[in-house]
Formats: sequence, C-alpha cells, structure tokens
Amino acid sequence: MVRARSRIAGAISVFGELLITGGVLMGLFVVYSLWWTNVLADREADKQSHSVRDRWAATGPGALDTRDGIGFLHVPAMKNGEVLVKRGTGPKVLNDGVAGYYTDPVAAALPAAARGNFALAAHRDGHGAKFHNIHKLKNGDSIVFETRDLWYVYKVYRTLPETSKFNVDVLDPVPRESGKAKPGRYITLTTCTPVYTSDYRYIVWGELERTEKVDAARTPPAELR
Amino acid sequence: MYGWIWRHLPGNAWARAGISLVLILAVVYVLFQYVFPWAEPLLPFNDVTVDGQ
Repeated sequence: MVRARSRIAGAISVFGELLITGGVLMGLFVVYSLWWTNVLADREADKQSHSVRDRWAATGPGALDTRDGIGFLHVPAMKNGEVLVKRGTGPKVLNDGVAGYYTDPVAAALPAAARGNFALAAHRDGHGAKFHNIHKLKNGDSIVFETRDLWYVYKVYRTLPETSKFNVDVLDPVPRESGKAKPGRYITLTTCTPVYTSDYRYIVWGELERTEKVDAARTPPAELR
Repeated sequence: MYGWIWRHLPGNAWARAGISLVLILAVVYVLFQYVFPWAEPLLPFNDVTVDGQ
C-alpha cells in the first residue's frame, strides 16, 4: 500500500518535472529567437558590410558587383541604420542579418534597371530583425538605397499592412495592387506580420524619386542627414 | 528525475551544485548551437517572403 502510493507520487513528480522542463525549453527558445539570433546576425552583417565597403574603397567606381552584396538600404523611419542587401531571399541569406532581393518566385529588377520592381525581404524578428519597424513607414517616407556609385532615393506611396503569403503579385514589375498601372522604378519591402509570428505579410511600396551621384566623401543625400 | 540525477552526482552539496551548473550550461549550449537552429525553420514564426509555399 505504502509502496504503491510512493510509486504514484514518484510518477506524478516525474510528470511535473517534465512539464517544467518543457516550459523552460520554450522560454529558452524565445531567448534564442529574439536575442541570440540577433547577436549572431548583427555580428555577421557587420563583417559582410565591412567587406563590401572595403571592396568599394579598393576598386573605385565600376560595374555593379552582386557577389557579396549590392549595396545598403537606409530607411530613416525604421531607425535601424544601414542594411546590407544581398541576392536571394532564402534563410541562408536572410539569417545573416541582411535584406535579400527576390530571385524567386518573381525576379526583382535591380535599382539600376530602367524599369522594374526592386523587391526585398528581411526578418521582422530575430536574425537581425532588419525590418522590425516596417509599420513605422508612412506614405512620403524615404527609402534610400546606396550603391557604390549612386544613391537611389525612393518615396513610399503605399503600404499594405496584411496580405497572404500566396500574394506573389505584390512583387510584379508593375505592382497593380499598389495602384500603379504603368511601368516605373519601384521598390517593394516585404516581411512577416504580426510581430513574432508569420501569419501574414506586410508590404511597403515606394517609387524612385531621384538618384544622386556618390561623391568622394560619400556624403549622404538630404534624406539621411 | 532531477532528484535522481542529484543523488547520483559525486561529492558534497557544493561539488554537486557546481557539476549541475556545468551540466545546465552544456545543455543550453547544445540547444542554442544545434537543436534550436534545426527546429527554427520547422516552426511558423519567421517566414518573411511571399512565395506561395
């Protein structure tokens, strides 16, 4: 009788310890996702950004080089400094704390193209969380893309706070859902929403306003000063 | 379960506490280095692209 009772008590206490272990595991996963991946990604993004800048400095003006990163995105409204932009939107690219331009399902046009949509994705949380503050972007805000030789200044003209992940039309060269019908030089930012989940996608569209030549001191355009 | 581990650690209470701490750190390391990076893409928290998949 006593032994049976102690056996039941033992089983219950093991069960309780398993529940506690599960809770601690989930807590640790949150710490991992929202803090540790940022530490790793920011470190990696820093390293890659420096190598791109070093190469720009070493080679001077020339053709666009897409190997390690094509340039830097500056979005003053997001208050997150500069974001390196690389080719592709797979986890391998984005997890390094950079933004990626789409190659699939719709290939993005590069900013230098005369017409097209420069469509980008980056993480909302974790892995650098480069587009965490995407909801702070309002119509008229500037998105500046820095390449070796040019500053591309875009203005936001439309945001779509929630859409399905199946809505690949937002990446079209002429994004009709944003209200545009004619070809132009557009930029599209995509990330997940609501924060901490990825039930939906958040979209921001901008249109090129002007470009500025990069001078010797790399003086940023007025929008970034 | 944890009581069983505690009883099977060698030494006095201080030594056991020290070993426990090392074990906990080892577990956290394995989780952060191997288990979570593996589990993360399988969980629906961080898909940022529109891809229709």
